[in-house]
Amino acid sequence: MNRGLLFIILITIFIQALLIFDSMLGSWDRLSVGAGTLSNFINEDVWPPDWGVFDPTWSVSCSASPRFDFTCSKAWIGLIETLQIAFVATVFGAMLSLPFSLLAARNLNPRWLSYSSRFLLASFRSMPSLIWAILFVIVIGFGPVSGVLAMTLYTVGYLGKLQYEAMEGMTKPPLDAANAIGLSKFETSFFVVIPESANDLISQAIFMFEYNFRHGTVIGIVGAGGIGYFIDLSLMALDYRSVLAYLILIYVVVIIIDLVSIFARSFFTEEEDILIPSWIEVFTPESIISLFKHTKGQINGKQ
Amino acid sequence: MSDIPSSVKPIVRLKDVSIGYELANPLVTIPDLQIYPGEIVAIAGPSGVGKTTLLRTISGLLQPISGEVEVCEKIFPSKLNRGELGYIPQKLGLIRHASVWHNVMLGANAGHKSAWNIFPSSEARASAMSSISVMGLEQKTNEPIRRLSGGQQRRVATARTLAQCPKIIMADEFLSELDEETMKMVLSATIDYMRKNNSSMLVVEHDITRAKSFADRLLVIDDGRVNPFITETTAMEVKV
Ligand SMILES: Nc1ncnc2c1ncn2[C@@H]1O[C@H](COP(=O)(O)OP(=O)(O)OP(=O)(O)O)[C@@H](O)[C@H]1O
Ligand SMILES: [Mg+2]
Repeated sequence: MNRGLLFIILITIFIQALLIFDSMLGSWDRLSVGAGTLSNFINEDVWPPDWGVFDPTWSVSCSASPRFDFTCSKAWIGLIETLQIAFVATVFGAMLSLPFSLLAARNLNPRWLSYSSRFLLASFRSMPSLIWAILFVIVIGFGPVSGVLAMTLYTVGYLGKLQYEAMEGMTKPPLDAANAIGLSKFETSFFVVIPESANDLISQAIFMFEYNFRHGTVIGIVGAGGIGYFIDLSLMALDYRSVLAYLILIYVVVIIIDLVSIFARSFFTEEEDILIPSWIEVFTPESIISLFKHTKGQINGKQ
Repeated sequence: MSDIPSSVKPIVRLKDVSIGYELANPLVTIPDLQIYPGEIVAIAGPSGVGKTTLLRTISGLLQPISGEVEVCEKIFPSKLNRGELGYIPQKLGLIRHASVWHNVMLGANAGHKSAWNIFPSSEARASAMSSISVMGLEQKTNEPIRRLSGGQQRRVATARTLAQCPKIIMADEFLSELDEETMKMVLSATIDYMRKNNSSMLVVEHDITRAKSFADRLLVIDDGRVNPFITETTAMEVKV
């Protein structure tokens, strides 16, 4: 498309968004007033965070040694449960979504099949995990099992979409080769398409885990287990300092998950093949570096 | 061909075929092409004329615009039997993040294992092993494709097809990017395979001298640059 036209379209979209926001707001003064209220709220009620959420809570009997007694705290117990819910839901969800996304990929299947699979995935996705959670809490009762089921369903819908888009994005020649030599649908799916898009599939699954972890804090509020339950308690007690401490904890864990994702994907990307010397390598003798390298020392182009 | 008894059926037979990506706009017409068991037919022609398109059509990946395409006694659109046709695409079609072994086993499984059997047969493994060593890639068996050089990747694609033991090989410029010595090695290994199994090969080869050195017949796709009197792009046989 013509660049000038593209530019005009983007500008128009942005102006349209501004106009809609303006009509919602009524008066822009509301924002500056709001900013004042916000800073008061933060200074008086929210800051500093209350790290007391890491103290052992009297509601469980703690058998850990004093150095590890934070493992009996509300923050820790809630965090672990949320991580467990997110982990189980992501693993189950990814296993269930993979067959559906293979069916939904248009480069693998006839239109009628791929579109029916897409519609099914969309139906799982159209209800947010919070609504699924309310449903399962009503049907099954309070606790992490409801959380796991709610998130598994949502994961199938959401991750399935990401997966079939990754599969459709793969290059054509491997599929051509597989079709020409007569490999079956099953073989093409599992030995050609999945390995070829493995990098995307893995990073999406880890992203989904992170997503489920963050949303796990929300579904806890409706009683489906996890750290959200404790956040809800603190919110109701107007104890915003504890809430802030919980939020900081969640933020840190999200960053850690991101680092793990980078590490896991490094097995499938080409980044590892490009050698960018780190500052340690620049200042350390090569003989010492080679002791710590698992790849055959490729520094300075040596084999 | 006079030296072929009339009882022998061609593996590939094209009659009044036109090919291309748009119905209204065929790229090439092929009035008549027959490839018999054991024959090597080379296709030459300028870039972008439709050589790859012809190979894709014969491989059943692309519908012919008109005419009859028959391969291994199956007329398009009926499908070939599993593993009968080997295909070395111009862009190779290897799985970049998988190992040499994984890629070669895809071919071996197509040729030596039924689709319903999940585990590879010992026959498939043996075939993969021997074609990897014929292509001189033993040292690289467990390397992912992305860590191989261009020429090594090309040899993996050839190994995948030899491991499959097809009746006919479609090879799209499979000798490019190789140095003289490696090129001869790949070519002689492929011809050896064909002689042993009485298989045929249709090979796109832009180097006409090289094509003449190993092909039994040469097909030139001409869009008027060779013969200015033709009115449409046609595949014609040229005396070797
Ligand atoms: N998927 C496609 N859809 C539409 N047109 C295509 C497609 N692939 C190729 N073409 C067009 O068809 C024509 C022939 O392409 P083809 O790849 O068969 O050429 P070729 O003879 O193999 O050339 P080269 O020697 O460069 O490989 C080109 O003009 C190309 O632009
Ligand atoms: Mg080509």
